[in-house]
Amino acid sequence: MFGLNKIIPVEPNINFLGLRRNFLILSILAIFISIGLLSIKGLNLGIDFKGGTLIEVSTKNTSIGELREILSSSYSDVSLQEFGNENIILIRLQNKSNQESIETVNSVKNLIQDKVVEFRRSEFVGPTISSELLFRGFQAVSFALIAILIYIWLRFEWQFGFGAVVALTHDVLFTLGLLSILNVEFSLATIAAILTIAGYSINDTVVIFDRVRENLRKYKKLELVDLFNLSVNNTLSRTIMTSLTTLLALVSLFIFGGEVIRPFALTMIIGVIIGTYSSVFIAVPTLLIFKFRPQDEND
Amino acid sequence: MKNYPIWKSFTVVSLVLLGIIFAIPSIIYDENSENWFLKNKINLGLDLQGGSYLLLEVQLDVLYKEELDNFVDSVRLISRDQAVKIEKIDIQENEVLVFFANKDKIKDIRDSFFQMYRGVSLQISNNRLSIKLNDEYRKIIQDSAIKQSLEIVRKRIDESGTKEPLIQRSGKKRILLQLPGVKDPERIKDLLGKTAKLTFHIVDNDNTSALQNNLAPFGKIIVPDMYDENTKYLLDKRAVVGGENLVDAKGSFDQTEGHAVSFRFDTEGAQKFGKVTTNNIGKNLAVVLDGVVITAPRISSAITGGSGIITGNFNAQEASDLAVLLRAGALPAPLEIVEERSVGAGLGADSIAAGQIAAIIGMVLVCIFMILIYGTFGALANVSLIVNLFIIISLLGAIGATLTLPGIAGIVLTIGMAVDANVLIFERIKEESLKQTKVFQIVKNGFDRAMSTILDANITTLIAAVLLFAFGSGPIRGFSITLSLGVIASMFTALMLTNFLVYMYLSFANKKELKL
Repeated sequence: MFGLNKIIPVEPNINFLGLRRNFLILSILAIFISIGLLSIKGLNLGIDFKGGTLIEVSTKNTSIGELREILSSSYSDVSLQEFGNENIILIRLQNKSNQESIETVNSVKNLIQDKVVEFRRSEFVGPTISSELLFRGFQAVSFALIAILIYIWLRFEWQFGFGAVVALTHDVLFTLGLLSILNVEFSLATIAAILTIAGYSINDTVVIFDRVRENLRKYKKLELVDLFNLSVNNTLSRTIMTSLTTLLALVSLFIFGGEVIRPFALTMIIGVIIGTYSSVFIAVPTLLIFKFRPQDEND
Repeated sequence: MKNYPIWKSFTVVSLVLLGIIFAIPSIIYDENSENWFLKNKINLGLDLQGGSYLLLEVQLDVLYKEELDNFVDSVRLISRDQAVKIEKIDIQENEVLVFFANKDKIKDIRDSFFQMYRGVSLQISNNRLSIKLNDEYRKIIQDSAIKQSLEIVRKRIDESGTKEPLIQRSGKKRILLQLPGVKDPERIKDLLGKTAKLTFHIVDNDNTSALQNNLAPFGKIIVPDMYDENTKYLLDKRAVVGGENLVDAKGSFDQTEGHAVSFRFDTEGAQKFGKVTTNNIGKNLAVVLDGVVITAPRISSAITGGSGIITGNFNAQEASDLAVLLRAGALPAPLEIVEERSVGAGLGADSIAAGQIAAIIGMVLVCIFMILIYGTFGALANVSLIVNLFIIISLLGAIGATLTLPGIAGIVLTIGMAVDANVLIFERIKEESLKQTKVFQIVKNGFDRAMSTILDANITTLIAAVLLFAFGSGPIRGFSITLSLGVIASMFTALMLTNFLVYMYLSFANKKELKL
């Protein structure tokens, strides 16, 4: 049949490691910018982590402007946003207390009752819950990084674990930085996306590390840089294939999966690209810090 | 078929068939089916079928404060019995300090008090008795309050006509509710937001200065009117009778009074009520609900029948809701809604439709891509991919997992990632094919060499998914479940099904050489 896989040569010989300095500088720059953005601009926290009220309505014979006018006469901190199409409007409000929220939702509903076809959803997250959710999200990500480090450490040598975690931290920070620039809403689903990215990126890294380990045994005399290059090249077509199929599925989710899931899909798309990049250009070069050879010769 | 054991083919084929058969209930999805087989379908989460998720927090602080007030009342009564004068009572955050005029009987007072409140910390120093709400005592209050609240919430929800609610304790002081198909979450929230503590008190109309100074003497309380905050009543603190003595309440309509709630007392309540109304003819009787007076009619004659009506400016819904609350009983402490997520059926249906489209298009794209790249082998991998999807669906149905919107995202993501194991295998086969020419040896080596990589790579993804399950809540757990099942199913389909299909293909096509 087609067999387009021959486009990617069976034994490509691209000097990835030769480019490592350029990419290292690029990544360090990206990380610094990300950290800067996160501390200055921050993330666009959704109600999961900021607390507040969110109401999604489908409307008729009205405009977002009219609704905004009606609501802003009663609420100073109301924000409206079209969600997918012009008839679906997302209303967000900041509440100070739990008690207020019930009254708020009721009175918002009364104010715009005659313009609304359907109240599609209403969400309220109180201040205590939002800080708990943020804490637990943070916990989940940290524990995941530690658990992955331990697993890699057990299955490989500790140097590989180090390389993997450097790459992972890079992916998480870089992704968060991009989320900050793009102003993507940061919600519980985003935390799930980031954890999945961690899983995906490590998956990618592990496949290459696996090959590095195999080649370390196979080619005792080869220079480390060449050996790493060979390993990356060996696994290159797999790396590209899996990233592409994953991206195909995610792009489909992004376009067709509906408005609610879009931030999740976007975060995943960004993460998969960064994760793939970091496996090749960050994780593997990090291994160069360590000298594997002298130990091998002692064996 | 060369080299392929019968038992292995049998296992693979039967697992695949099971996977497909058990996906049927979820694909047909007949919501009301009673058929034992069709019942094994996926549960839809609230975000997909519509409904309300509520997290309520029991306001324990109110209870602790109430208990401190009870301590004060009790210690006053005891010392009055013992004829000991109290000089001063100091109520602090966690304890009550009682200073007596002399310390002669302080030990007796302490012992009597301990009879009433077992478990509190009591300490005497000179003429001072300190009554402390310690942790154990708080825990007793907490546990009984949560238990009682759960029961009352359950009754109220049942009365509201919600089908298949899930009501459970969450953490130390919270109650979690999942109410599928609720159309008017505001009404439910109203029902839950009221303590519904109903009491009847005799009104004190003589002591007008107390009202003017807004200072209630011992044994009395000042309570505002429900409809007008500025109208206040001075009432006996002790309730004549309370909601716990009610056996029935329902909304009623009266030509002169409008909508009202009619109620009936149990024997004990009827007796108390009869006695008080007999002794207090001419006085007013206040009906107090959650700290406000609904109405305070004059007692014109003794009411001994044990039933009555409460009038107020109710509409039909308010009257019937109040009746529901009174029937269900009072909450021990107010409940505060700390989190709510309500989704209408419309959005849920839209999400399912969008998720299905995304999954199908993602699937088609990945399948086309695999065929373009790997040709026949790609087609075989696609069979595995489709079976993989069936297996995820049937596992979800079989373990009774709940499918949420993030769960659908997990499935779509799995479609993209599941081919990874196949790709790893095919790439190995490609490499092996450069080294040797024996077709079956190439395939065998390809699978063997890819095995450890596949395991390592998928276990790391599983670690992330499991942690997500441990720390995530509700919908996010749905994601970690589909992702985990997807990863596990993809390992099976790649290492067993693709393996089987490749062998079959090579045997039947009688391939003499392998170029991938």
